[in-house]
Amino acid sequence: MKLLLVEDEAELRQTVLDTLRQHGYVVETAATFAQAHEKLTLYSYDCVLVDLTLPDGDGLNLIRLLKAENSPAGVLILTARDGVEDRVKGLNLGADDYLVKPFHLSELNARVQAIIRRRQFQGQTQLTFRDIVVRPEQAEVLVRGEPLALTRKEYDLLLYLLANPGRVLTKEAIAEHLCGDQVDAADSLDFIYTYLKNLRKKLQERGVDNYIRTLYGVGYKLNLE
Amino acid sequence: MQLLAATTRYYLLLAAGLFALASGLLYVGLEWALRHEAEEQLRDEQTYVQQVVAQGRPLPTRLFAYELDRSARPRALGYSDTLLLDPVERELVPFRQLTFQVPASQGAEWITVRKSLVESQDLLRVVLGVMLGALALLLLGVVGLNRWLARRLWAPFQHTLGRLRAYDLHRHQPLGLPAPAISEFAELNQALNQLSERLVADYENLRQFTENAAHETQTPLAIMQAKLEQALQAPALLEDEATLRLLSDARRAAQRLSRLHQALTLLSKLENQQFAPTQAVPVHLDQLLRDRLAVLEPLLDARDLRLTLHVAPDLPARPLHLGLADSLVQNLLQNAIKHNVPGGEIVVSLTPTAFEVSNTGPAVSGDPSRFFERFRKHNAASDSPGLGLSIVQHICAYYGFQVCYAYATYPARHTLRVEFA
Repeated sequence: MKLLLVEDEAELRQTVLDTLRQHGYVVETAATFAQAHEKLTLYSYDCVLVDLTLPDGDGLNLIRLLKAENSPAGVLILTARDGVEDRVKGLNLGADDYLVKPFHLSELNARVQAIIRRRQFQGQTQLTFRDIVVRPEQAEVLVRGEPLALTRKEYDLLLYLLANPGRVLTKEAIAEHLCGDQVDAADSLDFIYTYLKNLRKKLQERGVDNYIRTLYGVGYKLNLE
Repeated sequence: MQLLAATTRYYLLLAAGLFALASGLLYVGLEWALRHEAEEQLRDEQTYVQQVVAQGRPLPTRLFAYELDRSARPRALGYSDTLLLDPVERELVPFRQLTFQVPASQGAEWITVRKSLVESQDLLRVVLGVMLGALALLLLGVVGLNRWLARRLWAPFQHTLGRLRAYDLHRHQPLGLPAPAISEFAELNQALNQLSERLVADYENLRQFTENAAHETQTPLAIMQAKLEQALQAPALLEDEATLRLLSDARRAAQRLSRLHQALTLLSKLENQQFAPTQAVPVHLDQLLRDRLAVLEPLLDARDLRLTLHVAPDLPARPLHLGLADSLVQNLLQNAIKHNVPGGEIVVSLTPTAFEVSNTGPAVSGDPSRFFERFRKHNAASDSPGLGLSIVQHICAYYGFQVCYAYATYPARHTLRVEFA
């Protein structure tokens, strides 16, 4: 999977780059509109992450360029919270999704993975993690080949965990993923505990144990082995 | 009280006093003059009568008997006042009389000559009539003059006042008042112009500072959060949960700061009217509301809250800024969840004229009008910065919506109602 990250802020670019690489993506970066424009004309990518406010141009024009060339690349907009109009414009131009800064890196992983999954038309659209198989097309979960019934939120939670295997997921990141980025996470995070408890129990009933590790006071982590 | 009315009041008080004094003096003076005149005439008559008697001629006859009264018996000599009945008018009329003695054939004779005095009541009536008439004219004149002055002379002042009332700092325009002919008003306008120019300049500086600060702070905050989240991933930390927790706490604090910052930026943008009306799009509030409620479902579940939703059919789309509409709905819903009790209830209703969210919850102390203030927390220990309702109020003010809070006991229920203008 080849990604292009267009972000003018060096520190942020580096951190996002490290995260995406850790999750097995091949990532190229562009710090300016000109660089991004050049790379987009020369190479093709599976997904492009675009910061809309660039020092030398409007990120929206990069999306226009991609669409004009009928590029199959997915587009994820990275935007400031107050850039609502830009966000709407970007989605109208054909961007797949948007992420409001500052975002959780685990959320970024999940979004990128979802975009790529939706864009992959050839064959394998299922996610496999150890004994768990998820078929997002059918919203179906199989544990050791047997279907597992989950509520919508439990399913969302499982997908989120699977998008970030081996990664420490903070409670806030999970809460925002399930309840939207405006959620006052500080006030009631108990519901995550309930969802995780239920999900764990259902997995345990199928003999799948110790997949999710609790990091007390911090969050959770999907154990790789 | 108007300034002119106040000065007029004192002026009229003085005028009334002076008029009363003048009326009294005039009355006394006139009476004295009339009496004096009557006495003079009586003395002349006495001299004439005495001459006639001395010459031995008969006394002349008078039209009225009382004007020359003769008596053989002695009478008190000199001037005196008396009242006699006027046979025609049938009323007592005051007279001044002079009695003197003249020699007569039988020894002596007492003669009284009389002059009618004008009735003092008549006199008083005339004096007061004239004076009160003059006073009334003066009063009317003063009132009329003041009306005219208020319109003419005070027009620049009224103009200035009107401009000040309508003045809105958010428009970034100094007052620009004209210089009227009257120097006091010209000075006032000049001082106000200078004041408004200073205000506009200061305000502009502050606004720019806020804007820049907002933009420049957000980036390092985003970096901080990303780096801390990345630091959490260090494999060594999985064996060192204490450090992991420290990092996680730091990341959480950075996130709180970032949220606080975003909320304050939103408030200042609302106050500075930085949402152009051109950014408004037709927003279906019912759809927005359903979307938001769907997302907040886990929070409702976690607190075991029962939700009742009343949405009127065929709601028209409203031209709103999408982000603001979202923020309004989100903040009201979140407020109802946050200040609820476990197992409580939330009733949301949306009609063409109003959006109302009410929730069960313990009574809160304090003045309800202050709930909309910034950093107003129901629970001081809460992590929430307490800006939600302030944002709601500002968004409503921005769109000219009315927002009000009501609390009902038994069952304890808080209601926030937004009336669309």
